[in-house]
Amino acid sequence: MEPVLKVEGLRKYFPVKSLLRTIGWVKAVDGVSFEIYPGETFGLVGESGCGKTTTGRTILRLIEPTEGKIVFNGKDVTQLKGREMLWFRRHAQIMFQDPYSSLDPRQTVFNIIMEPVKFHGIEVDDPEEFVIRLLESVGLNEMHLYRYPHEFSGGQRQRIALAKVLALQPDFVVLDEPTSALDVSVQANILNTLKDLQKKHGFSYLFISHDLGVVKYMSHRMGVMYLGKLVEVGPAERIFDNPLHPYTQMLLSAIPIPDPELARKKKRMEVKGEPPSPINPPSGCRFHPRCPFAKAGLCDKEEPPLVEVEKDHYVACWLYGKA
Amino acid sequence: MPEPIIEIKNLRVYFYTYAGVVKAIEDVSFNIYRGETLALVGETGCGKSVTSRALTQLIESPGRIVSGQVLYHRDDGSTVDLLKLNDEEIREIRGNEIAYIFQDPHSSLDPLYTVGYQIGEAMEVHGKVKNIKEGIGRAVNILREVLIPDPENRVRNYPHELSGGMKQRVVIGIGIANNPRLLIADEPTTALDVTVQAQILELINELKRKYNATVLLITHNLGVVAETAQRVVVMYAGKVAEIGSIDQIFHNPLHPYTVALLRAVPNPLKKIEKLESIPGTVPNLITPPKGCRFHPRCPFAEERCRKEVPELKEIEPGHWVACHRY
Amino acid sequence: MSEKVEELEAREEYEMTILDRVSDRIIDAFASFINIFKKDWRRRNQSKIKEWKLMAYAMNRSPPALLGLFIVIIYIILGIFGPYMAPWSYDFFPVNYNFSTQLAPPGSTYFLNVTTIENGYIVHYTTNIHYLLGSDVYGRDVVSILLAGARTAFVLDIFIILIGPTIGIILGLISGYYGGKVDETIMRITDMFLAFPGLILAIALSAVLPTRIQNFLNAHTWAQTLMLKLFALHARDVNNLGKLLAVFVALVIVWWPGYARVSRGSTLTEKENLYVEAARAVGLPTRTILFRHILPNIIGPILVMITMDFGGVILTEAGLSFLGLGAVPPIPDWGNLINQGSQYFPQAWWLVAFPGIVIVTVVLGWNLLGDGLRDVLDPRTRRSLEFKLKKKSKGGESSA
Repeated sequence: MEPVLKVEGLRKYFPVKSLLRTIGWVKAVDGVSFEIYPGETFGLVGESGCGKTTTGRTILRLIEPTEGKIVFNGKDVTQLKGREMLWFRRHAQIMFQDPYSSLDPRQTVFNIIMEPVKFHGIEVDDPEEFVIRLLESVGLNEMHLYRYPHEFSGGQRQRIALAKVLALQPDFVVLDEPTSALDVSVQANILNTLKDLQKKHGFSYLFISHDLGVVKYMSHRMGVMYLGKLVEVGPAERIFDNPLHPYTQMLLSAIPIPDPELARKKKRMEVKGEPPSPINPPSGCRFHPRCPFAKAGLCDKEEPPLVEVEKDHYVACWLYGKA
Repeated sequence: MPEPIIEIKNLRVYFYTYAGVVKAIEDVSFNIYRGETLALVGETGCGKSVTSRALTQLIESPGRIVSGQVLYHRDDGSTVDLLKLNDEEIREIRGNEIAYIFQDPHSSLDPLYTVGYQIGEAMEVHGKVKNIKEGIGRAVNILREVLIPDPENRVRNYPHELSGGMKQRVVIGIGIANNPRLLIADEPTTALDVTVQAQILELINELKRKYNATVLLITHNLGVVAETAQRVVVMYAGKVAEIGSIDQIFHNPLHPYTVALLRAVPNPLKKIEKLESIPGTVPNLITPPKGCRFHPRCPFAEERCRKEVPELKEIEPGHWVACHRY
Repeated sequence: MSEKVEELEAREEYEMTILDRVSDRIIDAFASFINIFKKDWRRRNQSKIKEWKLMAYAMNRSPPALLGLFIVIIYIILGIFGPYMAPWSYDFFPVNYNFSTQLAPPGSTYFLNVTTIENGYIVHYTTNIHYLLGSDVYGRDVVSILLAGARTAFVLDIFIILIGPTIGIILGLISGYYGGKVDETIMRITDMFLAFPGLILAIALSAVLPTRIQNFLNAHTWAQTLMLKLFALHARDVNNLGKLLAVFVALVIVWWPGYARVSRGSTLTEKENLYVEAARAVGLPTRTILFRHILPNIIGPILVMITMDFGGVILTEAGLSFLGLGAVPPIPDWGNLINQGSQYFPQAWWLVAFPGIVIVTVVLGWNLLGDGLRDVLDPRTRRSLEFKLKKKSKGGESSA
């Protein structure tokens, strides 16, 4: 099957400026490659500053990539211009983390949803009917049509944002921590809606989150990011059952489990240090200063490649490949 | 028989806002036992933070503690009602016998002073050291306690020179500087990454064991509760819904809200087919629902729930629930 | 199902005063008016209409703002109809017919033996002139000059505020949104303008510009006609327009940099909001993002600033006329009247006092209105009012 989205060697460096001079680069995303297939959710997890959000935005060219290829439905997005870029804008959408700032406070729900539809010239017989139908599909109703965002709760706003995404009938949606600003009970609601919509319309999602539980619930396949690099990619179930990369193992042992019995039985791994700054990342494997298995002379010198250890399960670690 | 260090009785805190009286906490009673870690759990706006602040009268206008008692049993056997103390007396207890750790380490440190100064100051205020200079000297030991590497040099650092995790360690350092009997940690790890969160929770546990302190942990993260607490108080819309040990709460939840909450959290170690969500939204506390405050969202609600406020009843030893079904 | 409950709660009732009912009527009438042209407009904008009504309620509860609004409405009416309400034309010089009308005190009446040329015939007639507020050096009635001067002030005011802030806001939006080199360039130019004290720059410009403007006017008849109509002046005053318009151009140039600064600042914070990025993700062009999304969100404080500046322009313009720049007699102008009076002060105190009172009142009116608008446009203060207005019976206990 052809992937909807194929990212190859994506890099995004931000300049660090001091008095108009560039004194260094923040390597926010440094050589990331993955594919997303139709109807699939690809989860991207990592701690703050690992570059997962930048990856999501660079893929949509909200931030121009420094290097790399982004192939969307067979076309290289980095080369698109004019009409073709509009085509891309229509078929690839994003939903943001903060429901309080992602909707224009001066527009009614109707306008918020219809503006992109009109802009892309999508023919709609009865705009009102069309928007009501969309609102109903995300659990709102016609009473909300001509209201302003400030009249809604956080969860309801995320639903409006979702309806706006749906209106363009995209193939692919970047979900940038869509529930991390919400309470758990509301979160469950939104996650279920997202899943249902995926089943119905066959969307592909890039699901970005720092919450491993949520990523496991949502994703078919997932990638773990550390300091701008993917350290492990594979089917979500497999990664949770059998994490290969020491960082993934550390993450899994660090997440609190909402079950006292399992929590007591869980095998623990000592968590060392904090993520270093992406301005001057460690040489070699970026995880080596925190890694309990780091081998001097290898891990701190050479960068491990992403290798397929078992079927569809890739790891970038010298424990699993030869130099 | 565990002895309580704090007994909260019928605590009521109202906020007098322009929109009306927000009944943030209504008739909340529970005990904190000596040496335990008690978790206060609930969603945004359920009153868990307000409860913790009300313990030492840290409620600012337009909020007011309307009624209730907070009995504090000192180590020497004497008992005081914290809500009856005047400003001077309560300040002596706050930060000394009862210390706080707040959520955001970035804003709870003053950027203009070194971390050593801030720890020293906390001790000097309560007369634990003669002057700030001595306090800064003692701060080195405290930084070592909270596992900050190279404390001799770190003591002279300003907050912006430290990472988020390190800052939270300093905040904890300020909290334990006076060897408190009760440590109130209000969402201490919410602003932190998972790996750092694990380290901070580990540290709090460690310190608690070492000083034989009591910890009141306020959080919305059920995972954190399961891993650190011994007992749990579940709050909903300003009232206590359920109290029990972690095993009772997680394996035999009685209140429909607790049940729903547990089913809404994805467990990364289990296979989850479908998360269950709670219909509706958290009620407005200006005009809360009559009767049981959870009834508009409760699948088992009956006529009685709409009229009568359920009492907190002990169903099995140590397991209390406020629901008409029991 | 709990959504239903919310819906019910949303339909609040308010305690109304007569003023509230009046403002409701006006807003409803306006909505119906738009509804004629745009189908369904009223229904689609019910939230907006409700918000307008709330704004009006907030306004109705602030006596200073109402006073300001009242003064401003009078000012606008006089600004439009003033010249036609004046008992005497601004270029009728009684001093030519009766020398003692020069600097006549308030309340005096004089007899005039007038000789004029009308339609090519010499006409003689006699009349009485009553000076309610005194006369100026030309024996002109101060009441008439004040009324006619309202037009001059009003036209300058409106056009300076229409053009200056618009330029400033557009530059500010562009500067704030694009950042980088564009921002640097625009802001450095703005700084250059701000570095000069506004009044001094305006003085310099009004000294340099008149001849050029006069030459332009002489070359273009349509511009002449337009200006004469706008200021309600007679054709023979064409040669005096240069100086008047010089003030206008000078003030426009002085007036934009402040707005560029303010709107750039607001744009910088506003563009960090995710809805801007969401608009980009949809593919909307920058123009749309700037004017449809960012501008409406930053316009509140700018509107307040504009309101206050309506007063500011009058004050500055009067100041310039006082210094002898800008309008020259016979063009009716408040500042110019004071300028004349300053030479005969305190004997002819009325030449300073009455225009002074008028200027102060109008400026105060705009400032009071601006202050009121600040509260009305701020959603927080408006919300607090919204709750105060709620009928006591509805919410149970109300705030203490």
